[in-house]
Amino acid sequence: MKKKLISSIMSVAMAASLLAGCGSASGTPESTGSSDGGNTEATESGEAAAEETPNSTFGDANGTHLEMWTFVELHGQHYQDMAEIWNEQNPDRTIEITCTTYPYGDMHTKLLTSLEAGTGAPDICDVEVGQFPNVVAGLDQWLVPLDDYAKDYMPTMVPARMQTYQGEDGHYYGAPYHVGAAAMYYNVAAMSEAMGLSQEDVIAKIDGVKTWSDYETLGKEYLTALGDDSKHFTSVDTGGTDWLWLAMAEYGDDWTGGFDNPANCKLESVSKMLKMQQGWLKDGFAEISPDGHVDCEAGFQNIMDRNIVSFPKALWYMSRFTNYMPEEKGNWYIAKCPVFEDGQKCSVGIGGTGTVVTQQSQNKELAAEFLCWAKMSDEGEQHIWDKLGFDVCNTAMWTKDSIAHDDNNQYNAFFINYPYDVLNDIGMDNIGKISVVKISPTINEYVCTTTLNQVLEDPDYSVDDSLQELQDAVDMEQ
Amino acid sequence: MKGKNFLYSQKVAPYVFVLPFILSFAFFWVYPLITAFTMSFQDIGAIKTDWVGFANYTKLLKDKVFMIAVANSTKYMFFTLVLLIPFPMLFAVLMDSNIVKAKGVWKAVLYMPALTSVVISGTLFRLMFSEYKTGQMNLITQAFGLGTYKWLKNGWSGMLALLVLACWRWTGVNMLYFISGLKSIDSSLYEAADIDGASPVQKFLYVTLPLLKPTTIYVLTISVYAGLSMFLESYMLWAGNSSPNNIGLTIVGYLYKRGIEKNDMGYACAVGVVLLIVALIINFAQLILNGTFKKEED
Amino acid sequence: MEKNKQRDLSHTPSHIVATVLGTGFFLILSAIICFPVFAGLLASFRPGTELIRRGLALDLDVSTMTLDNYIYLFGGNQDSKKYFMWYKNSLIITFLSVLLTLLICYFVAYGLTMYKFKLQNFLFTLVLATMMVPFEILMLPMYKEIIAFGLIDTYTGVIITGLCSASTIFFFRQYMMGLPKDLLSAARIDGANEYYISVAIIMPLVKPAFASMGILCAMGSWNAILWPLLVLKGAEKFTLPIGLNTLLTPYGNNYDVLIAGSMFGILPIFIIFLIFQKYIIDGMTAGAVKG
Repeated sequence: MKKKLISSIMSVAMAASLLAGCGSASGTPESTGSSDGGNTEATESGEAAAEETPNSTFGDANGTHLEMWTFVELHGQHYQDMAEIWNEQNPDRTIEITCTTYPYGDMHTKLLTSLEAGTGAPDICDVEVGQFPNVVAGLDQWLVPLDDYAKDYMPTMVPARMQTYQGEDGHYYGAPYHVGAAAMYYNVAAMSEAMGLSQEDVIAKIDGVKTWSDYETLGKEYLTALGDDSKHFTSVDTGGTDWLWLAMAEYGDDWTGGFDNPANCKLESVSKMLKMQQGWLKDGFAEISPDGHVDCEAGFQNIMDRNIVSFPKALWYMSRFTNYMPEEKGNWYIAKCPVFEDGQKCSVGIGGTGTVVTQQSQNKELAAEFLCWAKMSDEGEQHIWDKLGFDVCNTAMWTKDSIAHDDNNQYNAFFINYPYDVLNDIGMDNIGKISVVKISPTINEYVCTTTLNQVLEDPDYSVDDSLQELQDAVDMEQ
Repeated sequence: MKGKNFLYSQKVAPYVFVLPFILSFAFFWVYPLITAFTMSFQDIGAIKTDWVGFANYTKLLKDKVFMIAVANSTKYMFFTLVLLIPFPMLFAVLMDSNIVKAKGVWKAVLYMPALTSVVISGTLFRLMFSEYKTGQMNLITQAFGLGTYKWLKNGWSGMLALLVLACWRWTGVNMLYFISGLKSIDSSLYEAADIDGASPVQKFLYVTLPLLKPTTIYVLTISVYAGLSMFLESYMLWAGNSSPNNIGLTIVGYLYKRGIEKNDMGYACAVGVVLLIVALIINFAQLILNGTFKKEED
Repeated sequence: MEKNKQRDLSHTPSHIVATVLGTGFFLILSAIICFPVFAGLLASFRPGTELIRRGLALDLDVSTMTLDNYIYLFGGNQDSKKYFMWYKNSLIITFLSVLLTLLICYFVAYGLTMYKFKLQNFLFTLVLATMMVPFEILMLPMYKEIIAFGLIDTYTGVIITGLCSASTIFFFRQYMMGLPKDLLSAARIDGANEYYISVAIIMPLVKPAFASMGILCAMGSWNAILWPLLVLKGAEKFTLPIGLNTLLTPYGNNYDVLIAGSMFGILPIFIIFLIFQKYIIDGMTAGAVKG
């Protein structure tokens, strides 16, 4: 009987090593052998595994070593490519960089845990904007202020995006990847088919949309021509705040109150937007985004099924088209968002990732200088657009033909118009900013779980009551 | 030699056996827990930490969202107990009988979901419960001419989705516990019952059920805890920790939200301490009622 | 005796009907259980964009199905190398932690069950208590401890905190409660010492419990994310769940590798299960207990 148990354990061990072997057979040389020994051997085999690792360390092996964490693999590749260029330009101060991609939520946990523990943090780290308040709370005890390293680029950087990653002490702690400027996406192909107009005529009509009431007129024209009750012009989100951010930016409001003022959610702008959306839902102009917002599987299907033909979203949503909706190529046009009143700002920076340098770094100056260069210089911005497809923050680049009008770029090729033309049309001063501070997650969460579900799932629900509830919930936390 | 005898004595041997537990308990439970307990009386900031007394706890009592989380977790725990104890037990008895062929296949299949990582099963269930018309649940309702339904936006159907996911994952595991328990029942008892002319139902009620008690207590205890501390399922089903009107928020989800997402560890620790107390009360009440602490089983 | 009776019964018509019903019941149950996995499996043979376009479509339309995801996964490219590195790490960690957890938990449960001593009930209470604390609040202090012990970034650090698994100890205890105590006294009269008894006499009797706990521990270890992630630093030490999770980002999901990779990731645990399962079915050899 004992024999049987032993044989069973052996067979498991064999199965395990067989599978491990199968892993190494497909590319990696087997160097560990059967490591079913004790604890210490496991550690060793872990180290042995390091040798056969697909290379995640780049640059000059003799240079200063920098460690970087990210939660998007492409971001890591950006730094690796930039490190090569840096080493060419700075032969006396070469660097070697190791980029590690962690799962999204867990990377932030790991970063905060190591910042709090005072050890284990990397030199450079990506921080998603929603998580930024937690990290920037440590100010210059945790992070290196980037002001001095960024100052050469500052005059042409979109100010709203730099301010997003400011700490309470006014220093800049994060370097942005993108503006994330909100724009309106229109399905011109679907509209021209339904309305019996040429694409040029539809585009002319879209360009004529200045205010939300123009937008409604255009939408109603489309829906009347289409004559299908199951279709809508746009969809409103119960699981995202983009529409509300846009409304606030148009009126120059900010519900967080920034660092100095208490949060106030009972804003005229928010209420106006919600009431307008309630009206849309009642008359079939809009539907509720399936599964809450357009940036999810059901949202993509909804767009491809042409249940909606227009929606506002940040410019980084372009990559969703190229990745998940390739069949839509050539159908879509990007335009400025409508405003409530003439002369208002017509865009807002949404989402984003700020990259920080930690105080635990042994080479703070070099890390900070490299980071700002990799993210704000001409070389860096060109690379960000080419490889990551983000609307870059350095406005000096917006008019460069190598960025704005390069037809080899997949985004330039995908859409009817050039995304950067839209950006230039909006202008850097017309991009608003909603602060991301300590109270932000609370507001965001309450709005997405409760407020939006109340007023949009039941379009007769009183917007004022709902905002009051929101304010009460927020007040409990501040 | 004397030392050896000492170690080998019946008095000392049990302590040697439990020594690893005591060490692990001290290092990986008592110390972190005391730290966490201390933290629940603090307001932990990035730069400085203040003592705030019972402020976290008094705030918790007024926190409506926390109450929703407690209600959800309790409801979920209750329903999982109702669904995941009697049914797997019956399946196990059935599986143990001689009227089922190809047992190995069914056991393997029923166990498979537990092996699937929650990351992937949560994603699959999220797509199946999607409110869009291509979700499987909506394909079913549409086949009956009922139109589509927003499964993950309403309280009852959200709970249903969670329970379906729970049953899917754990039915097979619990069934295996019971099968393992059934194996330890002496088959001569059944023979004796047969001689007395007992019906299958009587055999189940008077032989199987009482003798499965240790297994049942085990499953009950871990289910109470697993139910109260459920988090990942909800996190994957709603693709994050936020669900409409918090219908999927659980106690540990709230702890995660506070501690990890908002980095308010003091408040999160208070949530954890409350969870600990609630779970301890329920489980010890249950165990004392079941007589688990009696020294000798008869 | 019993064997004969069964053979007689198995020819009666009512037994045949019962067998069809009983087996049919599990057939249907298995079909329902299989459904999501089957849907996932189908999806793994389609391009990621197809999943987006049509959801988890269940039609067996061969024209949209390709082996591309798997070819990519096994293709020896960067992603493939990484995937199998995660795979191997997970296998090592799972194997070691299952083996050690089972042994340690068995002995602890043995001590708690087979003797009467002063602290018995108190210690058992403590075992239960450890089950009921959410890991998230212990995480930060534990992370600091692991750094202090110098175990950061080692597999030892990943495994050590879970070696005394309360639920495993509890299960062994419940299982051993059912064993007759006179086995011990008999062995002691024969002159066996306490430790020999625990290994040579009782352990073989507890085999089914080893089997069920083995697969459960394997499953827990195979799927664990948060703690391994905190302890491990470099991508070269990542486990499979951590790796697969890096494919889900707020900037879009890599469905191609994710779904195929997850499906293939079920395999080893499933194989281990199939091996262990035999022992559950065998159960305890009747002779030892009755004897």
